[in-house]
Amino acid sequence: MYFSKALFKQSMKANWVKWLCVTVATCVMLAIVIIVLGSLAINDIRDSLKDVFEQADQEGYLNENSVDSYEAYTLSVDFANQLDDPMLSMFAGTAYNMAVSGYQEKIDAYTEANGQAPTGEALETIKEEAATEFITENESILAMLNMTDEEISQFLYIVYMTHDNNPTLDTTNNETVITELKESFVEYAGLTAYNLYISQGETEEVANGYRLQAVELANTAINSYEQKSQEEGFVYDEEVFKEEANEYVINMIYTQTYNQFITSETPTEEEISNAEQYAVAAKVLANTAISTYELWIDELTGSEMTDAEIKAYAKEQASASITDQIPEKVAEALEELGNMDIYGLIIGSIFYRIAGILLPMVFVIMVANGLLAGQVDSGSMAYVLSTPTKRRTVACTQMAYLMLSLLAMFLLVTVTSVISIWVVGGNNFAINFAEICLFNLGAFLTMFAFAGYCFMCSAIFNRSKYSMSIGGGLSIFMLVCTILGLFGSNVVPSAMRIDAMNVFNYFSIISLFDTVSILNGTISFAWKFAILAGIAIVTFIIGVFRFEKKDLPL
Amino acid sequence: MEEVIKAEHLTKDYGGGRGIFDISFFITKGEVFGFVGTNGSGKTTTIRHIMGFIKPKNGTVTVLGMDAWKDACKIKESVAYIPGEIAFPDLTTGIEFLKAQAELLGLKSMDRAEELIKRLQLDPSANLKRMSKGMKQKTAIVAALMADKDILILDEPTTGLDPLMRETFLELILEEKRKGKTILMSSQMFDELEETCDRVALIYDGKIIDIADVNALKSSTIKSYKIEFLDKEDYLKFKKLKYKIIRDQEKYYQVTVQIDDSEINRLFKSLSKYKLKFISEIKFNLEKHFKDILEKEVKGGKNVF
Amino acid sequence: MNIIEVDNLTQDYGHGRGVFDVSFAIREGEVFGFLGPNGAGKSTTIRHIMGFSRPQKGETRVFNLESFHNYYKILSNVGYLPGEIALPEGLTGWEFIKMMSDLRKTKDKERLIYLLKKFDLNPAVSTKSMSLGEKRKLAIVTAFMDDPEVLVLDEPTSGLDPVMQQVFIDFIKEEKKRGKTILLSSHMFNEVEATCDRIAIIKDGRIVTIFNANFIKHNENKLYDISFDKLEDLDNFVKDFPKAKLKDDLVVKFGVKEIFKNQLSVHVAVNDKQVNDFIEMIVNYKIKSFTELKLTLEDYFMTFYREDKDYGGMLKWKK
Repeated sequence: MYFSKALFKQSMKANWVKWLCVTVATCVMLAIVIIVLGSLAINDIRDSLKDVFEQADQEGYLNENSVDSYEAYTLSVDFANQLDDPMLSMFAGTAYNMAVSGYQEKIDAYTEANGQAPTGEALETIKEEAATEFITENESILAMLNMTDEEISQFLYIVYMTHDNNPTLDTTNNETVITELKESFVEYAGLTAYNLYISQGETEEVANGYRLQAVELANTAINSYEQKSQEEGFVYDEEVFKEEANEYVINMIYTQTYNQFITSETPTEEEISNAEQYAVAAKVLANTAISTYELWIDELTGSEMTDAEIKAYAKEQASASITDQIPEKVAEALEELGNMDIYGLIIGSIFYRIAGILLPMVFVIMVANGLLAGQVDSGSMAYVLSTPTKRRTVACTQMAYLMLSLLAMFLLVTVTSVISIWVVGGNNFAINFAEICLFNLGAFLTMFAFAGYCFMCSAIFNRSKYSMSIGGGLSIFMLVCTILGLFGSNVVPSAMRIDAMNVFNYFSIISLFDTVSILNGTISFAWKFAILAGIAIVTFIIGVFRFEKKDLPL
Repeated sequence: MEEVIKAEHLTKDYGGGRGIFDISFFITKGEVFGFVGTNGSGKTTTIRHIMGFIKPKNGTVTVLGMDAWKDACKIKESVAYIPGEIAFPDLTTGIEFLKAQAELLGLKSMDRAEELIKRLQLDPSANLKRMSKGMKQKTAIVAALMADKDILILDEPTTGLDPLMRETFLELILEEKRKGKTILMSSQMFDELEETCDRVALIYDGKIIDIADVNALKSSTIKSYKIEFLDKEDYLKFKKLKYKIIRDQEKYYQVTVQIDDSEINRLFKSLSKYKLKFISEIKFNLEKHFKDILEKEVKGGKNVF
Repeated sequence: MNIIEVDNLTQDYGHGRGVFDVSFAIREGEVFGFLGPNGAGKSTTIRHIMGFSRPQKGETRVFNLESFHNYYKILSNVGYLPGEIALPEGLTGWEFIKMMSDLRKTKDKERLIYLLKKFDLNPAVSTKSMSLGEKRKLAIVTAFMDDPEVLVLDEPTSGLDPVMQQVFIDFIKEEKKRGKTILLSSHMFNEVEATCDRIAIIKDGRIVTIFNANFIKHNENKLYDISFDKLEDLDNFVKDFPKAKLKDDLVVKFGVKEIFKNQLSVHVAVNDKQVNDFIEMIVNYKIKSFTELKLTLEDYFMTFYREDKDYGGMLKWKK
């Protein structure tokens, strides 16, 4: 209809060399990029970076756990030691009664007021109140004890617990009281651990495991103290028990880690040796953490910090991991780097949006000009129009040639890319078949839009110099903007990004080729593709109409 | 008589006095019509209108009764064109170009093309870009004539051709004329238009100043003779006779007389009385005809030079 | 004195192209025409005269200086107008003129202004948008603005319209009057015929003839066509009128050369010296019309080329 086979053939003959060069060059570049990148271990580097961070996290937990257990052990020993206080042992019962009475009073008052015994939060509140009251009332006496207010209220708490469990305790027997208190203490330790892990989001099972661990630890500590204290010439030496605590904890960690790595019922030798390796490493870490903790406490004692603050700080230092030692921004940057998709960056954003657009763009600029404006400029269009060929036919045929040669080009590029992806691993590769096809489609639509625009310029202008400078010039300008804008986009990791450069992306229609969206699996790339196609269609149509109506200086 | 090409009050104003203004003429079937004028006088602009490359601001131009702009495509079925500037499309050899044109023209047989190639001694396998100007012109001529169309529009077709090729080309044109083709030819050379055309229009400053009937000119019975006398006496005596003297050069004892053929015997009788050095004819040709007219334009206030 | 001398110049480009054993000399104050089709060897000869090419054999001299080694001295007093107009792009006419005058170290602006007026050239336009004619005018102006003694013109009016051609021809005549020596190479007969004193015809790289222009312009040997009203009149005429006697195109005795019964006309050859005798005779007959068959430069030229109808000088392509 509006198509001239002869003219189409003429255009093919005039341009096939350019087409071939550009197509081959683009395909070769693409194949090299995909295959070479595919055989590099880029993602391995990225993965190992990731591993470092995960490992660091785990180390942190382990250290923290070690220090916590160490603290718990020494605390338990301390508690046992306190209970050993001669004064306390003498007045254990009495003290117990005194503490309990105030407590029970409150319970009774509550029961009367509310018709039932307090439980849960209400009970907790009563305990708090009772403890505070007790401390205030008995300040002078308590001053004689070598304990902080906190320690005293913790102690009281255990007393209340004991009372809750055993309301009819015979308080006349001091020893019984003390034993009960010790039991309560152990229970308390377990409960604290349990609550801690639940609050961290662990499952009940896991939290329970830790509870049992804590109970065992407390028991061991207290028993150890009892044993030692009954020996001839016993003097309470903190250091001795600290060492003991250290030893206990690192062994505990060893066993824990070992068990983690033995998964089957009948482990192989390899598994065993592997588990042993990790267990030993963990043990060393735990040891280091505890030493660090103690060192810091030594350092900070005598400073302006309170004991609690010192302990908190020391713990923090001890449980630090590698990542805690790097400045925050750097750590963030590295983490981002570890999460970055390098293939997506290089193939998608750099190749398909820039390198893979440049050569076809040169083709489009030259050919679009030569199809109309160039021939009018030189005068050779006179031959075509001196035959029974409508102007619309000329314009449509040339338009068809440009479109089809672009389409053929990108079909070959697509085939090349699919083969290359298959060579480097198919769907296992960072970019799968579907994604690479979408990349090709995106590049094609982008070039399609430029082709329409350059064609329109070629149709509007009568001189090559205007057609190429306005058509080609704007196209190249947009490409340069895309290159500059690359540095400000979120394709480049934030460590390298210069946000201000992002403004260039608004000047280029190549921005409508959204490779990030394709890789992320979001749908926003689709409507942008539609816009590119729309630009192409509109400009082509304007070109055809303009060519039909204008004067030609032939 | 069928009017094959007709322009009526055709006007296209490009500003600054450039363009064509109120051009009217017609070309009948089988006629060879010439356009002569200086560069920029409007020849090419008029031809562009006929070919439908540009549309008129005012007036109309029709070919075979069809509007040249609207029905440009249909008109081309009967028209062959040689453009003023030879610039070939981006193909390699002459053969490729001729084949491509043949396809665009819907030409079935290349016989006529081959005939012309032989006649013009053209080597069509030569590379288009490396052809001399003459060869390019020959190629363009073959491309236009091979389709054997009824109407030929030729824009300065002999530029760049040397005398031999020009002669051959004009022979071809006369052959086409004998076949009954209608031909519009523009040129700057009066003599070739005189040789081939039936009528010639003089275009100047975008207007048609005059349309000359070449056949009438050629068969005009008005003749001018330059006569040089051997001595002054004879010269003076002759001047006293009642002949129309259009030029007088006293220094050389020369006069140029203009007579009608019917007076020739009388002239010889008069001359037999005197001693001549020579008698030579001053041809009144198309060039002179137009130059006279242009001079009148000059005297009318326009500056030709 | 000979200003330009070409002595057995030979330059063989192969395939029959080039110039072979070309010799001629141009005197001071002479206008010398070089006539031949494209590819005959005109531009080649001129290139050697200007010192652009070095002869394989023979020599060319200007002001008695060998061209190739002394081109610098020669060119300062020679105005050269090349056949191909290739002006640098992106300049206006004025800029080009300024550039050329700086290169030539021209002092005199008067001549420039005179030429601009004479050729009606407005140099304020950019060279890219000039028509061919305007470009040629610009080239002419810049070639002659410093008033050289010798003018070498290669196809000067090719592409110019008749009006401009005439302006140019007048310019040549004017320069001749001022005593300049001019070499005019062309394939346009009218400008050669109008201006030259002597003319050389070149074919296939060889000079085939050199002759005085008067041979064409003021050829004493004339050929007239005389037509009659009736066959009777023609027969009578032919019966009585003598037959022409010719020797090598020269009329020894005037008379009838050819008879065209169908057209009722005869051709009569007359030498100017015998014109009065001719008139005495013709007075006795009743004729219808009397017209002259002019020998034009073109006709004369064609005689050399038609001989073998081989388009000599055309580029021959090897398959």
